[in-house]
Amino acid sequence: MDELILELKEEIIRVLNLEDITPEDIDSTAPLFGAGGLGLDSIDALELIVLLEKRYGIRLASAAEGKTIFTSVENIAKYVSENRKR
Amino acid sequence: MATIIADNIISPLGNTTQANYQAVMAGKSALCHYNSPFPFTASLFNEEQKRSLRIDGYTLFESLAIQSIREALKQCQITINERTCLVISSTKLGGGQGVHEVQEIAHAVGITSTPIIVCNACISGVSALILANRLIEMQQYDYVIVCGIDVQSTFIISGFYSLKALSEKPCRPFDIDRTGLNLGEAAATVVLSKDKKADSWHIINAAIRNDAFHISSPSPQADGCQMAIETAMKDQDATNLALINAHGTATLYNDQMEARGLSRAGLADIPTNALKGYYGHTMGAAGILETIITMHGLDNHTIVGTKGYNEIGVSGNIAIIKENTPTHNQKTDFLKIISGFGGCNAAIYVSKKEPTPGPSHVRRGKSSHSIVITPQKAVLDNEIMVSNDLLPYKGEQRGSMLTLLYKTKINNYPKFYKMDGLARLGFVATELLLQKERETEGERNRQDRAVIFFNQSSSEHADKVFLASISDPENFFPSPSAFVYTLPNIVNGEIAIRNNYRGETAFFILPQKDDDIIQLITQATMSDEYHKSIISGWLEYRSENEYFAELRIIDYGNNKQEIEN
Repeated sequence: MDELILELKEEIIRVLNLEDITPEDIDSTAPLFGAGGLGLDSIDALELIVLLEKRYGIRLASAAEGKTIFTSVENIAKYVSENRKR
Repeated sequence: MATIIADNIISPLGNTTQANYQAVMAGKSALCHYNSPFPFTASLFNEEQKRSLRIDGYTLFESLAIQSIREALKQCQITINERTCLVISSTKLGGGQGVHEVQEIAHAVGITSTPIIVCNACISGVSALILANRLIEMQQYDYVIVCGIDVQSTFIISGFYSLKALSEKPCRPFDIDRTGLNLGEAAATVVLSKDKKADSWHIINAAIRNDAFHISSPSPQADGCQMAIETAMKDQDATNLALINAHGTATLYNDQMEARGLSRAGLADIPTNALKGYYGHTMGAAGILETIITMHGLDNHTIVGTKGYNEIGVSGNIAIIKENTPTHNQKTDFLKIISGFGGCNAAIYVSKKEPTPGPSHVRRGKSSHSIVITPQKAVLDNEIMVSNDLLPYKGEQRGSMLTLLYKTKINNYPKFYKMDGLARLGFVATELLLQKERETEGERNRQDRAVIFFNQSSSEHADKVFLASISDPENFFPSPSAFVYTLPNIVNGEIAIRNNYRGETAFFILPQKDDDIIQLITQATMSDEYHKSIISGWLEYRSENEYFAELRIIDYGNNKQEIEN
């Protein structure tokens, strides 16, 4: 799981162009969206949906579904490990 | 005040306004289900329609615009000369060679003046009508032909798909069960004249305001929408309104935002309709097409019903009209509202009343600060700030001028790294201008500032980036963030958000850098007296090694002068 969490952090930094942020800066349990987290917005959420599909073959039906998964990196890792197709 | 003297719609529902109006009144829609590259519903021309509309030697985009303009010109006897202007409204142009296509269109219909392209996301059509109206009020032209046109492509459809904005089924504006929009294609033209004509429509008031909230989500408070509506309603009596024609894309957020804007502006009880259930979202054509259908409906004392609507699914208790309904005889005017990416909102008040001529004075502005940025240098108020010779990474990292300027002079807005090249260029140039302004004039609330930009290549570089995400069918993952930046006016939105600017934001494309036209449109924008100042200029971004910004801040009468007057 730790390996997947690190991989996800690296991917999130890459696809969302989080310049000057390293995987160590991201708290695995902290919220990704809204104030206090990484300050991600709705386009970032859509970009994370693309990431899940492209890298792990997971297809989300709606942006709303993403909201329940993208609460923290740990939660994404849990969802990915249970649902990944590749 | 301009008079609308002719119009035309070419859509999958017909090739004349009359044919379109009759089809809509009969409840017809061209929305069809398609399966490739994924399931979606759209209103597209079929192969037979394309064949019959296509003019030899022209692209479909060019052909549709030429046919629509020619049809509108048939209805009015005007002599086209240097005092006739062509304004094209299009969000994506024909796909890549936009300026060339618009020049072909202009040439084919006999236009000799420089054509102007309005590329202001979903509000482009209304934005173009507003510009045309101002150009005539300024007595710059005798006639302005405004043509809105977009054709659909895998590019656009997969972009909206990636934004999860598409409904697989026919769209349901304002309905509780709405799930998204359908795309559509059409060309729609109106001709505006300086001369009065009996029983004709006029744009009485108009406004464009920015939400300063988010580049692709409307403000939940609907403040930009409300501000645009309130300006368009200025000095007008809402009891004369027969109808409000809304944007009504049938996305969750747009319709809710419009409902909120209308109720906050005190117009919740005015009959409101939306036409996307007939045409889908025709993008650059939408504002013009929907204005034409609304004019013809009211000419026939009819409010066209909102196809797809059944049960209210927005707050604010607004009065959505479901079925075709006769209008109240005493109520003759209408309001057209529209909103789009980049945070822009527009509203026009349209009436057959004899308009009272507005103040004819031209506001004289004074340029306070200017900046030029190229990959080689940055020059602020005619002084070189940074030049290539001073770059630390000389040679190896060409094109890093923008990042260098960001890191050394700004460095407090990580969103910079998410922006595409055009937005980065506009953002950095504006930040440096504003730093200079704060240094010399101090901090001041400049919410009432407008931001308008021009270039030749539209979003050429961003288009390539997005295309890369969809060009391989085996690796087809359209990028939502890349798609958003394929609208050039996103840069205006970024600047409005950063600085909380609520004034007009607009992006224009010209055949070449033409300082006279830039000045003309800048002045036209300032005829909206809400604006006390403007950031205006050329913003071209072709690649990391080829870009050019030349922007200035222009102030229109400082506070002191106004008090003395």
